Amino acid sequence: MTCPHLEYRDESDGTRFDEARAYCTAADRFVQPMRADVCNDRYDHAHDRHCEIYLEHADSDGAGRSDDEAVNAGAGSGGRTESEVDDGGER
Amino acid sequence: MSYGDFLRGEPAIVTAALTGGVHGKETTPNLPETPEEIGKAAAAVEAAGASVVHVHARRPNGERTFETERFQEIDDAIRRYADDVIIQHSTGGTGAPDADRHRPLRTDPPPEMASLDMGPLNRYDHLTSENTRGLVDSLHEEMVDRGIKPELEVFNDGHLNEVHGLLERRDLADPVYATLIFGPGTLARPRPRNFLNAIDNLPEGALFNTLGFGQNQLPFATMGLLFGGHVRVGLEDNVYYRRGELAESNAQLVERVVRVAEELGRPVATPDQAREILGL
Repeated sequence: MTCPHLEYRDESDGTRFDEARAYCTAADRFVQPMRADVCNDRYDHAHDRHCEIYLEHADSDGAGRSDDEAVNAGAGSGGRTESEVDDGGER
Repeated sequence: MSYGDFLRGEPAIVTAALTGGVHGKETTPNLPETPEEIGKAAAAVEAAGASVVHVHARRPNGERTFETERFQEIDDAIRRYADDVIIQHSTGGTGAPDADRHRPLRTDPPPEMASLDMGPLNRYDHLTSENTRGLVDSLHEEMVDRGIKPELEVFNDGHLNEVHGLLERRDLADPVYATLIFGPGTLARPRPRNFLNAIDNLPEGALFNTLGFGQNQLPFATMGLLFGGHVRVGLEDNVYYRRGELAESNAQLVERVVRVAEELGRPVATPDQAREILGL
């Protein structure tokens, strides 16, 4: 089972791709490729255990937090911060 | 390798990490993902002075893959566009099954080099690259069988112990070649004293390569050059040219570190010189 917040899109906010890419509808952002493994539950990944944004979103549903708060609370499956980019590659 | 090697002006090997497997074009449109893009990027960094390209494979939508066939397509493209650059495959892969981690070693011909991670690495809040000793040994065994030079990836000081342990368990062909990695999280803290400590704790005779993430890329490459080491730069490890300004290409990052090396009196190694240094 893939994440219910996962969609494949080729355009968002002026960013367009030739091939549709993973998009997190909870975070309203394209997903980093390694995180797409989590969205798709590939290998030993599971979105409901390993995705920060899914967990935050589930928390917000249960605890009354807004989606915006959940999105802003963490990087999430679609999020990207400069420090995460600095976290570098797979090696 | 030492400060003496710097004073003697020994050639420095520049490795370009072209694409990685973590971020993609959603981070920077300048990141190559397709075999064609990676092949052209390899040619550009070779022209800029890199003698080794570190390679990951992507699906058509940019996501990670460990399939031998995709690595083959990439290698074919690199050989089509570049002249003589050394191909180094990644065997890294957070959460990927051990069997998949072997697949990058099975192209025809095999890559001349491949990465061999020395231990675990945490990612985000819930993911870990385990890199057990069992996996390290099995990857090394296949590298030996296929004539592939391992690039030992050292994420922190504990992994320096793992390098010594690997040498006790297995015969590694000389020279041992280790990449010292500095950055956030599980990585060694990017402090100059930690760099000096790391090179002091390498096995006797080992060569080292220096890799700093993000804003640490250029200063740690410079330190690596000053202490007789080799350097890795590229969009896998750092997408910025300077704070707030995305790098235009892998070649732009290579061009800069080549200028630094030459200014410091370290000529950059040609692919043939790199092969001689690495014992390929």
